[in-house]
Amino acid sequence: MKTYSQISGEIGEFSDLPFWKKADTVDLAYVVYGLLIVTFVVVSYLLGSFNLLPHDPQDLDLELMMAGPGTVGHLLGTDFMGRDMLSRLIVGIQAYFLPGLLAISISLLFGTLLGVLAGYQGGRSDTLITYFTNLVDSFPRLVLILLVIAAFKPDIYIIMIVVGITNVPVVASLIKGKIQFLKQKNFIEADTALGLPTRTIILKHILWHNCRSLLIIQATLGMGEAILMETSLSYLGFGVQEPTPSWGNMVQSGANYFMKGQFWPSTAPALAILFTILGFHLLGDGLNNILEGRRGK
Amino acid sequence: MKLSAIRPIALVLSREVAITLLLLLGVSFVVFIILYLSPGDPFSALLEGQLSSGEARTGAHEVLGVPPSWYARYLSWLANMLQGNFGTSIRTGMPVLGEVLRVGINTLILTLGSMLVTLLIAVPIALYSVVRGINKISWPLTMFAYVVSALPVFWLGYIVIYFFTHKLGLFPLAFGYAAATQRFGWLYALLPIFVLGVGNGTISEVIRSLRDEMGRVMAEDYIRTARAKGASVWKHSFKEGLLIPVTEIVAAKIPFILGGAVIVEQVFNWPGMGRMAWQAAQDRDYPVIMGIAILAAVFVRLGSLFQSVVYVAVNPRASKE
Repeated sequence: MKTYSQISGEIGEFSDLPFWKKADTVDLAYVVYGLLIVTFVVVSYLLGSFNLLPHDPQDLDLELMMAGPGTVGHLLGTDFMGRDMLSRLIVGIQAYFLPGLLAISISLLFGTLLGVLAGYQGGRSDTLITYFTNLVDSFPRLVLILLVIAAFKPDIYIIMIVVGITNVPVVASLIKGKIQFLKQKNFIEADTALGLPTRTIILKHILWHNCRSLLIIQATLGMGEAILMETSLSYLGFGVQEPTPSWGNMVQSGANYFMKGQFWPSTAPALAILFTILGFHLLGDGLNNILEGRRGK
Repeated sequence: MKLSAIRPIALVLSREVAITLLLLLGVSFVVFIILYLSPGDPFSALLEGQLSSGEARTGAHEVLGVPPSWYARYLSWLANMLQGNFGTSIRTGMPVLGEVLRVGINTLILTLGSMLVTLLIAVPIALYSVVRGINKISWPLTMFAYVVSALPVFWLGYIVIYFFTHKLGLFPLAFGYAAATQRFGWLYALLPIFVLGVGNGTISEVIRSLRDEMGRVMAEDYIRTARAKGASVWKHSFKEGLLIPVTEIVAAKIPFILGGAVIVEQVFNWPGMGRMAWQAAQDRDYPVIMGIAILAAVFVRLGSLFQSVVYVAVNPRASKE
């Protein structure tokens, strides 16, 4: 693994083409789809927070229950209480957007910190961080979150702090590997010989010039992770409670009608989850292949 | 096996067991700290059932000999746990260890079965795309794996239940234990195993890492030599290209699959650890969820112990590192 990424990393470095010209078409398609989804999510989040919705998400329309998609006035139909599906889906983004950003910031911040410590300094801090990584990896994330819920309260921000902490080891080990690879390339030694302060070497030469794409990729994957967690937990009944919509509890409350053959109320949010998580995964993987040069030409 | 072949394995095994024990100690400490920090003093509940707050509790602590300092509490809790005393459930009053072990078997069946399903889907796709590269067949298959990995597992569960039990009537409608006592009731177990295997979100990752590893091995000189002299390429690439990455990824994904089991057990009413954890989180039944967290961590550590044993057995050089 190590040698492979090193070799391809070196090849990628000596070509002057902009990254989208040497990238794989498939990867570009992944990235374009992912960016589309991210734009969608951000725009919908803003629409939701400024209350620019086609309907009031709590508004019951008992005349028009279980309308399918494409109904006049309700683009994505209505749920089992006649509430507008599109508005509820848009408002459902509120449930994970800011908490997800919190989780990402925690994992990136502490992951970078630990990764730099382990990679730049090595020695004892490296051993300690390996131990911490293995410790965090020992817990199934959902079980750890259920433990925290039982101990404290089912608060989405507390949950997302846990999600962020459980993502720290991944970021830390990637940064560590990157720094260990960079150390072989002499420019850090040259920096030290030139008398540059350690702060400049780490912040500018290592993190900014060489690790930013890695951090962007991890942020993307982390958001997918956070969405998955939020929807799973609100499905299990620990997240946002009805009548406030979240994609997870929409699937859950629509499920009662599922067995009666009314698929739409739980399928619409499930598809929203599917396309969104898929978008974040593909964006992360596509960027990884292009920027980190794992499959690039 | 010769003695010289067994020695490095025994050496690494003892080192790994020591690491595992050290990590489990850390796990117990993390669990303790979470509960210690939580409001409502779980330790009063843990040690002697629910008590009212304030002076009564302090008095009770003194009478019952609850240590005042946190490390003394941790040590006494740890000592209890090592003797198999995980406390009693607040809700049912049953000893936690017995209860958790009883349902733990069901979870073990579910996770191991679904891992098999994941591998049965992912390995052929990965091997095919290594051998043939990206083409008309492997690209849609990879795409399909991505889509399936992003599918919310609870919704997949509903669809499967709807089609197999409502539409086709293939599997008994009775859930959980009632089904297990029926003839062919075990068939019902196949549904959650299949759903978790497909929907645990690891298929695309398994494919990606297998493809990378196998691709790397296929480009090695010794594979080219094998091919040149007409020896079997599969035989030579199996250990490094397939066995090691598969055990590695399976060990790494156990926590994810256990997490997915919480949801699938909820959907299918499967009487396992995940359902118990859900119930315990609803009731704030600390002793139960602590027991589950620790047992789940034991599962995970055993998985990675197994992985390192396989790694050393295949590659004895690793013991010298």
